[in-house]
Amino acid sequence: MDLFNSALNSLLALFFAAFAWAPPVLGLSVISALVGIGMLWVFRQTSNQQGMKTVKRRVYASLLELRVFADEPMVTWRAQKSLFAANLRYMGLALRPALVMAAPVALLLIHLEAFYGRAPLPVGQAAVVTMATTGLVAGELQAPAAVAVETPPVHIVDEREISWRIRPLAAGSTRLQFNVAGRPAGMTIESGGRPRFVPGRAVSSAWSAIWNPGQQRIGSSAVKWIDVRYPEASIEVLGLRCNWLLWFLLVSMVSALLLKKRFGVVL
Amino acid sequence: MRVRGAGLRACQASAFLLALFLSSCSHQATQAAGKRLIVLGVDGMDPVFLETHWSSLPNLNKLRTEGYFSRLATTIPPQSPVAWSTVTTGMDPGGHGIYDFVHRDPATRLPMQSMTEITGATKALPIGPYLIPLAGGGIRQTRAGRAFWQILSEHGIATNVIRMPANFPPADCEAESLAGMGTPDLTGTNGTFLFFTDDPAETRTTVAAGQIVAVKVQDGRAVLRVEGPPNSLRKDHATTFVNLIAHPDPVNPVARFDLAGQQVVLKQGEWSDWLHADFHLIAFKGAAGMFRVYLQQVHPYLRVYVSPVNIDPENPALPISTPASFSRSLSLKLGPFYTQGIAEETAALRAGLLSRAEFLDQSKKILADSLRMFHYELERFRDGLLFYYFSSVDQNAHMLWSRHDDELLEIYQGVDTAIGEAMRAAANGATLMVMSDHGFARFDRAVHLNRFLMEAGFLSLDDPTNLGDDPAFVHVDWTKTQAYALGLNAIYLNLDGREPGGIVSGFDKQTVLDEIAARLLAFKDPVTGEHVVDKVYLGAAFQGRNLKYAPDILVGFRRGYRASWQTALGAVPKLTLEDNTDAWIGDHCMASDEVPGVLLSNRKIIAAAPGLADIPVTILKEFGLPKAGGMIGESVF
Repeated sequence: MDLFNSALNSLLALFFAAFAWAPPVLGLSVISALVGIGMLWVFRQTSNQQGMKTVKRRVYASLLELRVFADEPMVTWRAQKSLFAANLRYMGLALRPALVMAAPVALLLIHLEAFYGRAPLPVGQAAVVTMATTGLVAGELQAPAAVAVETPPVHIVDEREISWRIRPLAAGSTRLQFNVAGRPAGMTIESGGRPRFVPGRAVSSAWSAIWNPGQQRIGSSAVKWIDVRYPEASIEVLGLRCNWLLWFLLVSMVSALLLKKRFGVVL
Repeated sequence: MRVRGAGLRACQASAFLLALFLSSCSHQATQAAGKRLIVLGVDGMDPVFLETHWSSLPNLNKLRTEGYFSRLATTIPPQSPVAWSTVTTGMDPGGHGIYDFVHRDPATRLPMQSMTEITGATKALPIGPYLIPLAGGGIRQTRAGRAFWQILSEHGIATNVIRMPANFPPADCEAESLAGMGTPDLTGTNGTFLFFTDDPAETRTTVAAGQIVAVKVQDGRAVLRVEGPPNSLRKDHATTFVNLIAHPDPVNPVARFDLAGQQVVLKQGEWSDWLHADFHLIAFKGAAGMFRVYLQQVHPYLRVYVSPVNIDPENPALPISTPASFSRSLSLKLGPFYTQGIAEETAALRAGLLSRAEFLDQSKKILADSLRMFHYELERFRDGLLFYYFSSVDQNAHMLWSRHDDELLEIYQGVDTAIGEAMRAAANGATLMVMSDHGFARFDRAVHLNRFLMEAGFLSLDDPTNLGDDPAFVHVDWTKTQAYALGLNAIYLNLDGREPGGIVSGFDKQTVLDEIAARLLAFKDPVTGEHVVDKVYLGAAFQGRNLKYAPDILVGFRRGYRASWQTALGAVPKLTLEDNTDAWIGDHCMASDEVPGVLLSNRKIIAAAPGLADIPVTILKEFGLPKAGGMIGESVF
């Protein structure tokens, strides 16, 4: 999975680099449209298109019945039952493509979150780094010159965490080194500069690593994760700031709807 | 035919009037076009302090030498809400109706807020534990009269009025304005701080404007309950709250604080930035607040100060600006800022919970916050009026006056830098005025006015031994009391027909007033032998019709004397006079002549004795507008 994450990350990094000259919303719009097209293709490949056509015809027929026989209670009732059943059937038919797409889209969203959802730490502004440990252990943070460690460690006894306050002094990518129970651990933090891939939590377990791409796995068994709280990023669309996910969903859906006939897909 | 002729004449007259109106508008607009006026209001800037420190205040000194400097007569009484209401409206208290920080309700003889009135909903829909308001209710400013910036904006003059005191909720107008002193915290008070500790030696639970809360540190954590406003959408009005979790390190003098996804790590002696809190009211609706945390001590006992919960300017739960979106736009540009009207933490210093150094540290943060906003406003000021208010000099003077001049001078110097910026901005023909509402004096001796009235035979207790600090006249025998004191300068008669069961008849009123005035003027301090009262002002001397809350007598104390804190709340203590041992060592609630403010300008001031009421008239005249009805001043230029 580390390899998969790394590959996906490299691919996205290339894509992101290609759009480095443009405002983030442009790259996001392109990738959202591509994802929309990709989902359309997966939908066509994995769904029962004939079944969908039939069930949609049934939906239209029921709606027509409701309109034409509005003053016939029995007919209306039957039409409503039929409409309900058709809807259920439609959802059933959409389930398989949805399941097929769920995992890759979730992984993609996690990577995109690192690109568009998190902003690098502002230079000169304090941030909190927290390390979760498996037991009550002492931890030490060694930071390079580009990052000031402003406080001694705070041991959060009840939650088995250790926190420090740091302050990035220069823009860039910096590796924080920790010493926990005699074993090293580390994480990379991003500060200042342009929007870019900002990795989240560094973790020790392989399963957690899937959902936290971009950081090296922690080797020390005494550490569960190390995290720094990044500011939330947002994108600007026509002068308005919005969450990147909203824009992603909007563009991917619109592109899928616009291109469904061209791809011959029944949605 | 006659009808047609009359109609024609009416049309002609209307057209003439319309043309006259339009030409007058265009004349005013012509006069106002391109005019630039910057007015800086510095609360409590004292003329004597300036005269003693000109060499340390280069910009003020330059303004004085290149422009003009004068004393500025303050209001009677010389209290900030009164004085700034006069600056706002050009009226005296009889016109704008604000006489003190607190008024007394004649029906109950109890203190009430003088600047705002809060009313509950008149119709509400009960749903389970909730009460959904349907009609009525709200918060309203009690000041009468029109604000000068309302008049300016009606004439299309660009106007920015930032942090004007006694302007909460802000006067409705097109101008950009932000409410200043008088803006409450989110709980509706002038500012209630919280102090959390597990120190068993701290046995107090309440102090003036603050609460001391005992906490338990267990498994390395303490839950600090930070209270928000009472939930007006619930029948029981349960107090809203958020839990701030403190994690003190077992060894190091450092702690982490967690609040709803926010974390901050503080060393002992450090302040946090703003923590944002959403006080839950009902599904999907909360009141947005923010506060700062000061970690005073970690070991052996945890001591944490939490500031009053400020209204979040990005999402204000109460109206603090015009237009309503203005505070949000300021917050997005500048980051969160203090919205509480009086944010300097004088109360915690008075309670001994913060040291002077800690108070100064917090105070300088407020000044820095204010200077940052001033800089931003000055940068974008192009045309019209910019009014900006600074609170720091006043609040620091209260705690530092005459004993810690060097520290107070630092605050003056902070404001001096802003004045330097304003002078540079005004260099190309703009008018600059720097003014203060009053000066300062030592507050050495506290006068218990109710005890004085009792000794003089105007006030009686149910039992003469019931002397003490109990507020709200709990032991006063109203059937034998002719006069009582409440607030910082005010004495009221127990008047028949006004106060319930009042015993002073209208016929006797003047006689009793004269007797009290004579006794006050003869009142000598037994310790120093000095007269305590310099002037006595009768409330009837005010101009205007808003006399409902006017005191019958305003006491103008001599420098060094002031009404005690107990007097302000209606207590009758054992002594008439005592040494002021409080950390609040400077004040201005004395005779108005004793504490004038200042007026500096880059233009010649021709008024022989300028006063606060002249300021709005001057501003209007600068833009070619006549003074509005009720304004009693004249232009100083």
